[in-house]
Amino acid sequence: MKVFFATDIHGSEICWRKFLNSAAFYKADLVILGGDVTGKVMVPIVAHQGYWQVTVRGQEHRLETQQELDDIQRQIRNTGSYPAIVSPDELQQLSKEEGAVDRRFTVEMTRSLDRWLDMADGKLRGGEIPCILNGGNDDIWEIDDIIEQSPCVSFAEGKVIDLDGFQLVSMGWTNPTPWDTFREAPEPELATKIEAVVSRVPDMERAIFNFHAPPYGTGLDEAPALDASLRPIHGGAVMKPVGSTAVRDAIMKHQPMLSVHGHIHESRAIKKMGRTLAINPGSVYGDGVLQGALIELNAKKGKVAKYLLVNG
Amino acid sequence: MATEAIGGETPTLFLRKATGLVRGWSVRDSIIYAALATNFVTLGIYAFAVSAPPFPKGQLITAVLISAVWVSFLVIAYAGLIVTIPRAGGDYVWQTRILGSGLGFVMAVSGWWFILWLWAPIYGNILSVQLFEPLWATLKWTWPAGGAAWFGTKNGIFVVTLITIALAGILVSIGMAGYARVQKWCFIGGMIGFVVVVGLLLFNSHASFINSFNLEAQKLFGISNAYSATNAAAAKAGVSASSFGFGPLGESMLLVPVMMFFLLWPNWGATLYGEIRGASDFRRVFTGMFVGLWITVVCTVIFLLLMVKTVGWSFYQNSNGLSFAGKGVLPIWPYPFMLAGWLIHNTAFQVILILVLSLWFFGWVGTLFLSSTRVIFAAAFDRVLPDRAAEVSEKRKVPVYSLILMLLPAAGLSAVYAYSTTFRSYTLDATLVIAVTYLFSAIAVVVLPWRKPELWRASPASRIKVLGVPIVPVAGVVTIGLLVFNLVEWLSNDNYFVNNHDSLIYMGAMYVLAILVYVVARIVRRRQGIDLGLINKEIPVE
Repeated sequence: MKVFFATDIHGSEICWRKFLNSAAFYKADLVILGGDVTGKVMVPIVAHQGYWQVTVRGQEHRLETQQELDDIQRQIRNTGSYPAIVSPDELQQLSKEEGAVDRRFTVEMTRSLDRWLDMADGKLRGGEIPCILNGGNDDIWEIDDIIEQSPCVSFAEGKVIDLDGFQLVSMGWTNPTPWDTFREAPEPELATKIEAVVSRVPDMERAIFNFHAPPYGTGLDEAPALDASLRPIHGGAVMKPVGSTAVRDAIMKHQPMLSVHGHIHESRAIKKMGRTLAINPGSVYGDGVLQGALIELNAKKGKVAKYLLVNG
Repeated sequence: MATEAIGGETPTLFLRKATGLVRGWSVRDSIIYAALATNFVTLGIYAFAVSAPPFPKGQLITAVLISAVWVSFLVIAYAGLIVTIPRAGGDYVWQTRILGSGLGFVMAVSGWWFILWLWAPIYGNILSVQLFEPLWATLKWTWPAGGAAWFGTKNGIFVVTLITIALAGILVSIGMAGYARVQKWCFIGGMIGFVVVVGLLLFNSHASFINSFNLEAQKLFGISNAYSATNAAAAKAGVSASSFGFGPLGESMLLVPVMMFFLLWPNWGATLYGEIRGASDFRRVFTGMFVGLWITVVCTVIFLLLMVKTVGWSFYQNSNGLSFAGKGVLPIWPYPFMLAGWLIHNTAFQVILILVLSLWFFGWVGTLFLSSTRVIFAAAFDRVLPDRAAEVSEKRKVPVYSLILMLLPAAGLSAVYAYSTTFRSYTLDATLVIAVTYLFSAIAVVVLPWRKPELWRASPASRIKVLGVPIVPVAGVVTIGLLVFNLVEWLSNDNYFVNNHDSLIYMGAMYVLAILVYVVARIVRRRQGIDLGLINKEIPVE
């Protein structure tokens, strides 16, 4: 069985489209997106009488036609941002009213995800090609129900899913980050959550861990060291491990066949941990490149036969 | 959900708090790394003595200024690449993405791995002549036999090179966290040392320097009237020195390929983090490299002008020329900063000055193998090298195999360097091979708008224009001009000691080895059912 695993596309529509095409492109039997589906940035497009105004990457644009508006929205979506068309009054409200940005973010994220899942329906031939998604620490809770209801995508968060004799265990929670995001838990609590779901795996030799957080100190979790204002220190030359000890301990204890991770975009790496092959394909969603891992599983022997990191 | 608005009164974007949304690093850091990489003390002054003497009619200041202006275009081109694809992998990532996997691999491993085996003994030699020799001479230590001069012998060069390799290896093993802190202090300390040297040379007269030089040369080496003896020896050896000036231009242009030995590296440590990128990032990245480069240029020009004023231009050139010919009057390399220290007749002061100025060396040597580690790891993750190459020991977190792949060949090559004076003359090979790698990155930046139009359109670099023309690809063309000019000179002019048969074989062997590794990897992986051609193949969007 050939699996394509990607992660952390953070709202990049170009990466989502590539992800949907990845099964056909790589001749994969199954595609998995390992969390952090939603974006982090919202770009207001201010609608004036007869034109729109928007600033993209520091450059101001005045859009006169619907075509220009569509083009700029596409550009914004491709970089992982959400275009939000607002009136001048709405923009003022967003700037000043507490909670207004949060609410608008939620609207744009869920709206975008709905559109994405509609696209998936066509591309994945109504669920004929298995496609699995789970949450990541940056994903709002509202996405869970939306994905759960999709007919062509399986929502794997906190579940054990059987894949032709292999068991996929998924968990979008991570250890605490400096950003205090949605699915974060202290290490002991994370360990409990992991054990709760892992205990339902019947055969660890055929298990695949799909944990958003990478295992601590394995090279899959190297991020730039940051100062108090969250800027990289020493020119970004100093990296430090920021993964989860609970995830590392779970892998070492249970020794699944394969363990796939994301979360730390800069840390594209592979590590053998006992019998477990651990992979973080990393992410460069902002460039419109879909990094991923092509993994071939040997169903008879219950092991990873081949693997390759790709920049699609 | 916590959010942040950017754009002042009228926000132009909203951020929500999410992992990894880090901003770029400070420009000050970038300036320090660029200044340390274009190290005018370790590399610049060394190049003036080791590679410039065959061009006695060329003017060093003219060559430095022309080179710096030309390299400034390389800075623009690289700033464009960095803000377009801000990956730590640098040339490897840009070339594999824009030009193709095979070419990117060959250029990355030759320019960022194999050629660093030669940089190791070059660094070792610099450590010999800028720290051990002057220190031993000043302290009049006689062990090992020969005292300070022993460090210039074959055994001396080899031993110091092994020390350098061990030091760089240890620094890779312990990680950058501690070293990065040390680097900044090295820069500050090194700058203080340079300011002291400037003060000494500025406030002492030419006559005072001659007296001090003669006195200390007599005291330390027993040489009488060493100043006159140097000029006389130069005349006897046929070492010619031009009078100080700014021309002729043609001869000075021939020094540009020599200047590349230190001025070509402002982009060495440049990278960018941060997912919110805009035109300001281009300015920040550009400013870091540009200011770092020009700090080096200003220091170099000050140094050369002080050589003219206090040391004597003819004497400075004569002592470099004699040292180059192996006929120096002093038994050790005439390290200009040691000579400046001789203006104060106090051993403790002289020792401290030498030690403080050695911070220029120690502030940068730790990065010698850093790029190699990154390339080896990237190639292993791409399955081009065996998986083991990226293994890190569980206990000590040391990248054992990649260190072996760097240290053993470097040690072997160091032996060849130390015991073969011919091989030692191939110093500029180390610059040439990296220049070839840069050339392909410059080509990548020129073809970027056509090869990856979406990526280019989304890049802040595409909006940096002069008279409506995007300057980054134009800077790429000028950079190609710089690199082609240097390559043509290196390969056509015997005086750079690059184009002789053995040197060409040596450099060619590196490219053959890189191609061989890639081809073998493709074949072996294909047999294993893994198609390496898929690594950078783009998935269709529609």
